[in-house]
Amino acid sequence: MRFFERQDEARRETLRLVLLFAAAVAATVAGVHLALAACWLALSLLSPLALPFPRFFFTVNVGVTLLLILGGWWLEAASLRLPGAAQRLARRLGAREARPAVSADEQRLANIVDEICIAARMPRPEVMLMPRHQAINAFAAGWDVHDAVVAVTQGALEQLTREELQGLVAHECSHLHEGDTRLNMQLAGMVSGLELVWDFGATVRERGGVALLFGGAIMGMGAAGWYAGRLLQAAVSRQRELLADARAVQWTRSRDGLGGVLRKALTQRNEAQERPADPPLPGLVQHLLLLGPPAGKDGRLDAHPPLALRIERIYGRPMPPLPLPRPPAPVFHWA
Amino acid sequence: MSSTAWIILAVLACVAAWVVVTYNALVQKRNRIANAFGQIDVQLKRRYDLIPNLVEVARRYLAHEAQTLQAVASARGAAVDAAAAARARPADAAAVQGLAAAERVLGGSMGRLMAVVESYPELKADATMQSLAEELTSTENRIGFARQAYNDEVLAFNDAATQFPGNAVAGWFGMRPAAMLESTQGPQERQAPRVAF
Repeated sequence: MRFFERQDEARRETLRLVLLFAAAVAATVAGVHLALAACWLALSLLSPLALPFPRFFFTVNVGVTLLLILGGWWLEAASLRLPGAAQRLARRLGAREARPAVSADEQRLANIVDEICIAARMPRPEVMLMPRHQAINAFAAGWDVHDAVVAVTQGALEQLTREELQGLVAHECSHLHEGDTRLNMQLAGMVSGLELVWDFGATVRERGGVALLFGGAIMGMGAAGWYAGRLLQAAVSRQRELLADARAVQWTRSRDGLGGVLRKALTQRNEAQERPADPPLPGLVQHLLLLGPPAGKDGRLDAHPPLALRIERIYGRPMPPLPLPRPPAPVFHWA
Repeated sequence: MSSTAWIILAVLACVAAWVVVTYNALVQKRNRIANAFGQIDVQLKRRYDLIPNLVEVARRYLAHEAQTLQAVASARGAAVDAAAAARARPADAAAVQGLAAAERVLGGSMGRLMAVVESYPELKADATMQSLAEELTSTENRIGFARQAYNDEVLAFNDAATQFPGNAVAGWFGMRPAAMLESTQGPQERQAPRVAF
């Protein structure tokens, strides 16, 4: 894997998508104004009286739409900027702090995070464990590198070798190093702002009469903007996953590390029926996870590239899944 | 002043600003190299601190292997001295070479100790020993990653200092490309991190 080239590629693609996103927001604002103007013109043609555009028609349309989008974005993003927000989020998902002094596995995990932070030259994030999740997975969250969390599932701790765990931690640390959580949260905030435009249109429509027409116009534009925003947000997220994969290979200088994780994840997905299900993770955090849910029919809204593609990018060719180690006989731990 | 003079002045000001910005960027990159080198030193110290603990635990089980343990202890002492010498005179090639040689001897004796540990199942099962072995594995990785980070910083500095037009600024201020650490992965050192349980 030519990891430096792959990283440049992913960065260029992200920039293009973010610019497109800004264009989509601008297009929504312009669309709302034009749709309302068209409705007004239609009305004035039908009515016997002359209906000039009201004063401040343009200013109010653009102002209110921008207020909705930016307000929604600000509200959504503000909750993540509070200190300790990443930890609280992790706890809500069932994570607890790793206890390196108590368990050998957790000692290993904490050591690996330290090692990767040396390779990446970044401050160490808080290390957490999700003890009730038996599937291989992990997530990283944090507004900046000084208030960040890396959490790993119990299943990953038990079923991965030391080298693989290194690859997994390196992938998550890349998300923190590159500020992906922040970018994702900003985009998610914008998307919810676009959703607000749609909501506002629905509220206007409830008044009935002529408002049906104007509300419908706002709803239509809001819906289009919202869908475009979700598409672009997912596309950005997929690029950041590929960037983090390339970063992990760069830092660990090993493709079998993260490659092994993804190949074991492939096995896990094939055997998903035979295993007890884990506690569900809310849709809000999907883009923070190492592995998303199985790809939908239409991959355009998935936050992760398909596993097979990620494996092929790492090895340069398709690779078969790796078998999972049998879980060891249960041992009683005094908690 | 005529407008020509103003234009010349403006161009000169732009060039001066560019030189200042480029010079500062180069200095920042060079400082990051120094910092990365310090990180390697920190991790070597961590290794020296761990080894006596490991030897102490092993001694309880390895009464008949006193010679192996003694070899590790003296190799560690020599490496600590060599590291102190290298730290005092980092520009002295002989001191750095001496540290590399002492590290190689230490790596070899640690490898022999770990091979001996393999044949003592009770020692292998000892919880303290397992924990120390994990710490040692991690330390070996940290040293490796610290070296890698050092080389990455050197690469970033050398790129900035040799590419046009930054190389002109580097030349005026006598900044030479830094040297990368060469691989010291001799056959003996390769054995050192193999502490699999």
